Amino acid sequence: MQPFLVSLQGGAGNLAAYLAAHVLLCLLPAFAIAGAMSALIPKASITRWLGRRTPARLSYPAAAAAGSLLAVCSCTIVPLFAGIYKKGAGIGPAVTFLFFAPAGNVLALSYTGSILGAEFAVARVLLSLSFGIGIGLLMALVFWRDDTAHDAQADTLFAAQDRIGSAAVGVLVSLVAVLIAGTLKVAPLAVALASFDLPLAWAPAWQATLAEWVPFDAAKGEEGVSAQGSLLIGLLVLIGVTAWRGLENIVEGANRWTGAALGLVAATLLVAALQWRVHPGGVEIVLTGRTLAVAMAMAAVAVYARRLEPDALNAWLWEAWRFVKQIFGLLVAGVFVVGVIRQWIQPEWIQSLTGRNDLLANATAVLFGVFMYFPTLVEVPVAHMFLDLGMHRGPLLAYLMADPELSLQSMLMVAAIIGRAKTTAYVGLVAVFSIAAGLVFGAWVDGVSLAWIALGLAGFMAVLAAALIWLRSRRRAPAAAAAS
Amino acid sequence: MKNVKILGSGCANCKKLEAVAREAASAAGIEAEFVKVTDLKDIMAYDILATPGLVIDNRLVSSGRIPTQAEIQGWLGG
Repeated sequence: MQPFLVSLQGGAGNLAAYLAAHVLLCLLPAFAIAGAMSALIPKASITRWLGRRTPARLSYPAAAAAGSLLAVCSCTIVPLFAGIYKKGAGIGPAVTFLFFAPAGNVLALSYTGSILGAEFAVARVLLSLSFGIGIGLLMALVFWRDDTAHDAQADTLFAAQDRIGSAAVGVLVSLVAVLIAGTLKVAPLAVALASFDLPLAWAPAWQATLAEWVPFDAAKGEEGVSAQGSLLIGLLVLIGVTAWRGLENIVEGANRWTGAALGLVAATLLVAALQWRVHPGGVEIVLTGRTLAVAMAMAAVAVYARRLEPDALNAWLWEAWRFVKQIFGLLVAGVFVVGVIRQWIQPEWIQSLTGRNDLLANATAVLFGVFMYFPTLVEVPVAHMFLDLGMHRGPLLAYLMADPELSLQSMLMVAAIIGRAKTTAYVGLVAVFSIAAGLVFGAWVDGVSLAWIALGLAGFMAVLAAALIWLRSRRRAPAAAAAS
Repeated sequence: MKNVKILGSGCANCKKLEAVAREAASAAGIEAEFVKVTDLKDIMAYDILATPGLVIDNRLVSSGRIPTQAEIQGWLGG
C-alpha cells in the first residue's frame, strides 16, 4: 500500500508544481497567442510565398515561418503539408515546414523555456530551424525528379494574397509582452514596489496542511504547493467552468459567461504575478515590477482587442479555448503520470545510459523518442524528469528534437502523403540530425568553444554533401544510360 | 435537398463545424444531407490549406474556420 501512496503523492506533487505561478504565467498567454495566430494571421499572408514559382531562398524561410506561425495543430499541419508538397513549392519546403512546426510554435517554445530554461528553448529553435531547412534541402536534392514530375498543373492555391491587420498585430505584440513580462527573469521585474499585509491567521496552518498533502523534497528538484498555488488552482477550476459556458458557443457571439471567464483569466495572471510571503500572522502580498508589467501588457491587449472586428475577436477566443480543451487536459494527465513513474526510475539507470554526451547516449535518446509517443507538450515534462534524474543536456535535446517529429502517428500521416520511400528517408535524416543536434548542444554545455563546434558542424555538412553528390551521380547515370 | 460536405480528418473544429451546420439547416427549415469527408486524398481534391472545410452542393464555401449559423444559412439559401 505504501509504495502506491508514494506514487500517487509523486503524481500530485508534480502536477501541483506544474500549476505553480511561473508556469501559468507562461501557459495562459501562450494559449492566447496560439489562438490569435491561428485566428488572426491570414494564411495567405505567408502561403503566397509557398507557390511553385517562388525561389528557394524565399520558400524555405517562408515554410519555416508557416511552421512557426500557422501550424499549431494538426488541422493546419496536415493540409498545409500536403498542399505545399503536391501543389506548391515541393518536397523540400514541405519537409522544412513539417520539421519546424513542433519545435517552432509558440506553445512548445514558451513551455520549453519555462520548464527547462531559456537556453533549451533557444537551442531547440535555432537547431530545428537550421536543421529543418537542411533536411528540406537534402530531401529536395534526393527526390528532385519527383518534384519536376508533378510540376504540370498551375497553382491557384498559393496565389491569394493577404495582409495581417494592424489591430491583430497589436493584439499579438501585446500578448507576447504579457508572456515576456510574466516569465523573463531580470532584475527590474523582481523589484518590490509596494506591499500590504492580509491578516489571514489561518494562512500558516493552511500552508502546513498543503505541505502535508503534497510532501516534496527540494533536494530532488521537487516543488510543493504554496498557499498562492492553491488559490491559483481554485481560479483555474473557476475559469474552466465559466469558459465552458462562455466560450463553447463563442462563434455565435459573446454572453455574460464570456466576460466572467476573461475577467478570471486576467485575475489569475495578476495573482500569479504577485509575490506571497506567508508569515505567522498572515500573508504579506508584494507588488513587484512584474505585477505592474503584466497588468500594463494586459491592458494593451484589451485596447487592441476592442479594435478587432467582432467576428475576428470571437474566432480568436474560440481558437484559444479549443487549444486549451485539446491540450490542457492531456497535459495535466501526462504531468501526473510522469510524476508517478518518476518514483520508480532509479537515477543510476538514466545516468549510466545517457549521463554523458557521446554518440551512444544521443542515439539512445533519439531511439526512446521514436518509440514513445506523448501528446503535444507532454514531451517537455518528460524531458524535465530525465534532466532531474541526471540525463546529460545534449542527449536530452536530441530526445526533444526527435520525439514530436518521429512519433508513430506523424510518420503514418507523412507516409500517406509522400509515400514510404520518402518517409523512410525523412525519418532517417531526422534521426541523424537529432543526434547531431544533441552532440552540438551537449558540447556547448560542456564548455567546448564555439569554433570547434562550428568546425565539427562544417565537417558533418561536408560528409552529408559528399554523400548527396554521390547519390545524385548514381541516380543520373542510369537515367542517362536509358536516354541514350 | 442540399448536399453539405464537411471536410476534415476528425479534429475538434470539424466536429464543431458539423454541429453548427446541422443546427443552421434545421433552424432555417432547410432539408440537407450531410456527408463527412475524412480521407485526406478526397479532402485535398478541394484545394484547401486548412481544415475544416465546408462544401455546399460541390462548391467550397469556407475553409480553416468555423462560420456562423447565419453565414451558413446564407449559403444554403443561395
